[in-house]
Amino acid sequence: MPVSFTQIMNIARSGMLTRLTSLDTISDNLSNIQTPGFKRGRTNFQELLNQSQLGGSQISSTQFMMTQGQLKRTENSLDLAIRGKGFFALTLPDGRTAYTRDGQFYLDAQRRIVNADGFPLDWEGEIPEGAEDVHVNPDGAVMVLRAGAWSEAGRIELAHFANPSGLLRYGQNLWLETEISGEAQTGAPGEEERGVILGKAIEQSNVNLAEEMVNLSSLQRSFEMSLRVFQQTDEMLSQAIHLRRG
Amino acid sequence: MKGLYAAASAMLANLTRQNQIAHNVANMDTPGFKQVLSSLTDYLHAPVHQPHPEASASGGTDLVGSVGLGVQNRPESIDFSGGSLRYSGESLDLAIQGPGFFRVETPEGERYTRDGRFNLDLEGNLVTVDGFFVLDDNGQRIRLEGGSAPTVTGEGVLLQDGEEVARLGIAVFADPAAALTRSISNTFAAQGQPDGEGQGVVLQGYLESANVNAAQMMTQMVQVARSYEAAQQMVQTQDELNARAISRLGSW
Repeated sequence: MPVSFTQIMNIARSGMLTRLTSLDTISDNLSNIQTPGFKRGRTNFQELLNQSQLGGSQISSTQFMMTQGQLKRTENSLDLAIRGKGFFALTLPDGRTAYTRDGQFYLDAQRRIVNADGFPLDWEGEIPEGAEDVHVNPDGAVMVLRAGAWSEAGRIELAHFANPSGLLRYGQNLWLETEISGEAQTGAPGEEERGVILGKAIEQSNVNLAEEMVNLSSLQRSFEMSLRVFQQTDEMLSQAIHLRRG
Repeated sequence: MKGLYAAASAMLANLTRQNQIAHNVANMDTPGFKQVLSSLTDYLHAPVHQPHPEASASGGTDLVGSVGLGVQNRPESIDFSGGSLRYSGESLDLAIQGPGFFRVETPEGERYTRDGRFNLDLEGNLVTVDGFFVLDDNGQRIRLEGGSAPTVTGEGVLLQDGEEVARLGIAVFADPAAALTRSISNTFAAQGQPDGEGQGVVLQGYLESANVNAAQMMTQMVQVARSYEAAQQMVQTQDELNARAISRLGSW
């Protein structure tokens, strides 16, 4: 089948558009490099054929990489990090449950454990009035210091998913369960693959600056190349149009 | 008029090459992508005859040689050379170092691919980024029970908690360029059964980059631009000669 100029220009356009989408993912990764518990995204490019005609490329999915981030010590006793595959469960204002790896928690006026956006953590227990200090054990037990003595105020459970890369991104560093991720299997930390909770620590994002910069520059090059293909095809078209002079 | 068509054929052939280059460039970042090879070949040759020096009643002619009638594209072929391997660290990213293709089940039938970006679907089946099922060595879908990420050995055996759960189906073709044709989404369709031996090593946490070379693509694009331009000039020149011939001969 003969090739048309439009077809070539469409292929070049697909090359540019996919790179722009991927650029969004990289910017998102880079801007969240300091966000605790953030998981980097990857744009999956895929070859496109139209009825066995060469069609350029397309984006087949944006995949979130659920690898463990590095843990960092902090001084806040409600900074919690998970070493393992579990997630903290939070209740959204609309009543749904969202999941996060971002364990920067605070006590609000009602002595609930909330995240930076004020969404309460789902856990069994209550921080009693007059608590001077809180410590979370690796197995999820929340220990409270009151009048010079430590006592257990409750337990934090973690959720774990059969296929965590199938979670839906909600925003604000939260995830929602989907059919693809499977139902949340909530249970005690340390069991199955939920992992353990570390107090006074946060999980850093799994974004690697050097890797993102390499991706960024190679993306820029391949964008430029598709642009060159487009421009050159345009010049060829112009030459074809001007075949007949005057 | 032969020259006019010969020059026009060069324009068309270069347009097809440009299409193939555009496709390769668009897929520079597609893991496991194998580039389209473009090559040109002579079109038909036509014999050239000249009347005998002593033109006789017989009207005989002498064959003085042949003239090419232009150029055409060879049928598209695929370059199956290996791409470089890139570390990704993801447990379900696999690459084959050496010969062999992952067997996948698509809506159009069994296909073969070098693209090892795998994931699990909602039933726990191992699937490609397009949701095609990855097959084991018996041609069955691979289903992983439980949540633990499998370990993959160099032979392509999937281990969960140290126990073998499946063995990846890897098809080796003695001559992939002859046996395989391009199919949907970065896969290849085979004419016959896999007939090769000696599968490569499966590497977990790696992806094979596209085997498109940026510098080579840019060089080819310059060639295409120049030869398209030259062919365009030739068409114009031929056209002018024809016009002149018509007007001169007409006024004679």
